[in-house]
Amino acid sequence: MSEAATVAGPASSSAHTIDRSGEPLIRASGVWKIFGPRADRIVGTPDADLPRAELRAKTGCVAAVRDVSIEVWPGEVFVVMGLSGSGKSTLVRTLIRLIEPTAGQITIAGRDVTAAGRGELRDLRRHDVSMVFQHFGLLAHRRVIDNVAFGLEVQGMPKAERLARAREMLRLVGLEDVENAFPDQLSGGMQQRVGVARAFVVNPKVMLYDEPFSALDPLIRRDMQDEICRLQVETGKTMVFITHDLPEALRLGDRIAIMRDGAIVQLGTPEDLVGSPADDYVANFVRDIPRSHVLTLRWIMRPAAPGEEDGPHLPVGTTVRDAVPAIAASERPVCAVEDGRVVGVVDRTAVLRAIAGEED
Amino acid sequence: MRPWWRGRTVQVAALLAVMWLAYRAFGLEHPWPERLEWNALAGHLNDFQVWLLDRRAADDAGLVFQVFDGFRVLVDDLVTWLTDLLLWATWAGTAAAGTLVVLRFGGYRAALVIAAAFACFAAMGLWEQSVQTLALMLTAVALSLLVGMPLGVLAGRSPRVDRTLTPVLDAMQIVPAFAYLMPVVILFSVGPAAAVVSTMIYAIPPAVRITALGIRGVQPNTVEAAQALGATRVQVLRKVQLPLARRLLLLAVNQTILFALSMVVIAGLIGGRGLGDVVTNGLYSNPALAILGGFAIVIMAIALDRSTEAIANRTDPARRHLTDTLRRRLRLATLATAGGVVAAVAIARAAGAADVYPEEHTAQEWLLARIQSVLDFVQDPTSWVFSLTEPVGTFLLVHLLQPLRAFLVETPWFVTVACLTLIALVLSGRRAGLTVLAMLAGIGVLGEWEAAMDTASQVVVATVLAVAIGLVLGTFAAESRTVSRLLRPVNDVLQTLPQLVYIIPFIYLMPVSIVPGVVAGVLYAFPVVVRLVERGVRDVAPESVEAASAYGATRRQLLAKVKIPLAGDAIMLGVNQGIIMVLAVVVIGGLVGSGGLGYEVAEGLQRNEFGQGVIASLAILGLGIALDRVTRGRRAPRRQGAG
Ligand SMILES: Nc1ncnc2c1ncn2[C@@H]1O[C@H](COP(=O)(O)OP(=O)(O)OP(=O)(O)O)[C@@H](O)[C@H]1O
Ligand SMILES: [Mg+2]
Repeated sequence: MSEAATVAGPASSSAHTIDRSGEPLIRASGVWKIFGPRADRIVGTPDADLPRAELRAKTGCVAAVRDVSIEVWPGEVFVVMGLSGSGKSTLVRTLIRLIEPTAGQITIAGRDVTAAGRGELRDLRRHDVSMVFQHFGLLAHRRVIDNVAFGLEVQGMPKAERLARAREMLRLVGLEDVENAFPDQLSGGMQQRVGVARAFVVNPKVMLYDEPFSALDPLIRRDMQDEICRLQVETGKTMVFITHDLPEALRLGDRIAIMRDGAIVQLGTPEDLVGSPADDYVANFVRDIPRSHVLTLRWIMRPAAPGEEDGPHLPVGTTVRDAVPAIAASERPVCAVEDGRVVGVVDRTAVLRAIAGEED
Repeated sequence: MRPWWRGRTVQVAALLAVMWLAYRAFGLEHPWPERLEWNALAGHLNDFQVWLLDRRAADDAGLVFQVFDGFRVLVDDLVTWLTDLLLWATWAGTAAAGTLVVLRFGGYRAALVIAAAFACFAAMGLWEQSVQTLALMLTAVALSLLVGMPLGVLAGRSPRVDRTLTPVLDAMQIVPAFAYLMPVVILFSVGPAAAVVSTMIYAIPPAVRITALGIRGVQPNTVEAAQALGATRVQVLRKVQLPLARRLLLLAVNQTILFALSMVVIAGLIGGRGLGDVVTNGLYSNPALAILGGFAIVIMAIALDRSTEAIANRTDPARRHLTDTLRRRLRLATLATAGGVVAAVAIARAAGAADVYPEEHTAQEWLLARIQSVLDFVQDPTSWVFSLTEPVGTFLLVHLLQPLRAFLVETPWFVTVACLTLIALVLSGRRAGLTVLAMLAGIGVLGEWEAAMDTASQVVVATVLAVAIGLVLGTFAAESRTVSRLLRPVNDVLQTLPQLVYIIPFIYLMPVSIVPGVVAGVLYAFPVVVRLVERGVRDVAPESVEAASAYGATRRQLLAKVKIPLAGDAIMLGVNQGIIMVLAVVVIGGLVGSGGLGYEVAEGLQRNEFGQGVIASLAILGLGIALDRVTRGRRAPRRQGAG
């Protein structure tokens, strides 16, 4: 985990390993959300397979989320990407039933969310899952500190205690000076820090972010991404992160799901997406990303022939870009090493191919 | 995209032409046929009233009667108790207490206005009546809010409730208050309770509407954020929606008060004591006093309006940045105010101040003399005012009201029904057409065809005048900030005046029976048209204006060819609202002898002829709905609330 503390470049967060042997923390299977009249009658009929526009023309319903299944393991950063209107926000809201899913099953931290009654759902929202919103959603009539403490207040925590916790949280996000200010007195970036603090203060197992930074300008956005990475590393939280900004996705995500018209078209690591996009839609998405910044040696290595194992050693997770100096300086193919074992070799041709983007 | 009414103008004109031809050809040959009238209805209604009275007097009155009666007693007691309290506090104590409370929550300007209002009541010698009216209004407003705000919260939170409530509220606002007096009197008998209930019917809709608007106006993402943190529904309401909607909630209070106040005079007709009583009684016996009472009502309206508005603006929590220290200080101020109120009342009582401001110190005599001299002057046929108003009144009567009345009354009834139905169909769609057909047929069956056509002719004349004035002034106001600023206070005052107060001066100014009601209707309705037209013209997309200017259009061309046509919807809305307001005033004109349906209700009230009064009330209701539907136009369907 300590490696990830130096997060700076793209894809570096995939450096930490996730234990996928146990139960996933979030499991959603076959989730549908259809908006419109008599939406519940559509799932399971042939209509459900119609493209979005046709379904709307025929029934007046919009299929915002179609048959989505995901699993997120503890400590993982799961990114959902897609164009505007592809159903990202709807999906993440169905996870805690801010929007009722039309069909499907959702389990979070062992609780069956879809079957939960009102009380249990409230419990889940209070203790297990927190959400950060694109437009902040701060309460304009409360001070910053009261905003941060709101989740605790809702739980019924006594005032002194919740204010102390909120104050501590504000220190963590660097806002201790403005605790008595009101939201409209803060910049957008500061407001979203308040939003993040408000979500963190209840110490949830899962954080949901719905495009938290898209209302911020690029420099602030980068700061905030760093902040999120730092918090993620410090607390080891599981995150579901929505964005339509690909660099952001690649930077934060352990795995990325790409959505189109409500369905997931590809789900994989950043390398999977950049290295082998499932279709033109995904390919278009990742077209402008320098492949060498994302692909690692693992992606381009070939099995070592006998006698090749004595070249310079590099960790298998090194990105191509970072490996270029070593490979250029070496006459021999570079060895990719995992757990002290050589797992493959990479020669100059492979690197050039990867950079040119034509290896198949 | 061309506005919906283009092209339809031609169709409507054609239908009117058909009516005209039929009128010329068959004038008076086809009045509403008697065999289509339900003449026994009045008798049935009278029997029903007798039965109702018997039941209520009976010892074993049923549960429904007990509930009604319990409510009546409760409200009567509440009003009496509140009146007694305000009197007990003595005039000095009450004035000081009111001023202090407004000072705390509304600031010193509002407090000055309130203090001035109390001074006026005292000077006018109408202290007791003012206190009675205040108690009546406070009770009506409190009960209206008690009903209206929870409904508004529900409607704001659930689109379904909103959809269910909207037509009910629409109906409550379309019916002229005058039309539900009779039924209310039957259920609650004459007295404060009846006055409070009829006021509530009028004042609840704005309470519901504005509350719902406030709740809906709270940003959905704040609500969602609270839900995501696991807030319960009650928590979301208490900690998010209500505080954030606070300014609009207070505005709802403000509007409810104003609506309630505009019912004071009518309440006076059915047993509300106080200023309303002064006006309605004085109307026949002591006009100067009636006018003085009218002034007192206006002063009360302005004072309550300004102070509640100030309170609303000062307590917007989102803008107030209420920190802990500030909050503590404010709480101290509230405590101090409470202490001040108690102290003021105690001192006033200890000093032996009277319940009512002592008569010998009022300026009532002097004021009445002034008013009377103005009235005498105006009524003097040799004065210049008379030479101005008399011809105007006569012109209205001879050239507009009488011909139109003849036209509507004498045109064969089936032609009128068919053409009006078709006009509604053309202008507002099929459902409106069917509604109008049903309403007109109903009016005929009730036996009120002629009276209704009479009233309709007055309404049409008044509406045309109001819209004409409104269009001109509204356009000027939209084009010039100065005009807009000058018009605003005039509009405000005209709108806060209770409907009947308008009529009084014109009884003297234009002593031709039906003209006062019509002129009063014009005065009551045109400010709304001005406001809507002004907004419509001003809100025309700047791009369109810019594009036209780029082609070198003059200011006149710009107005005539771009702004007014594009503001068409706003203007049509103005016609729609104006016609309803005009109707409300014109039927009140019945009290001063303007004929038509209003006259029949007034007669029913005064002679206690229940059946006739209720039938005329029903016909007013039908006419109101018909007029509303004809002019409603095809408004954009309501915004569908999400989720
Ligand atoms: N309450 C609703 N009623 C009807 N349709 C809705 C509703 N909410 C969302 N939709 C539709 O569902 C689809 C998915 O919307 P969603 O907000 O999930 O997209 P998104 O991927 O988050 O887009 P963005 O990047 O713009 O936030 C859209 O076509 C939208 O129009
Ligand atoms: Mg979204």
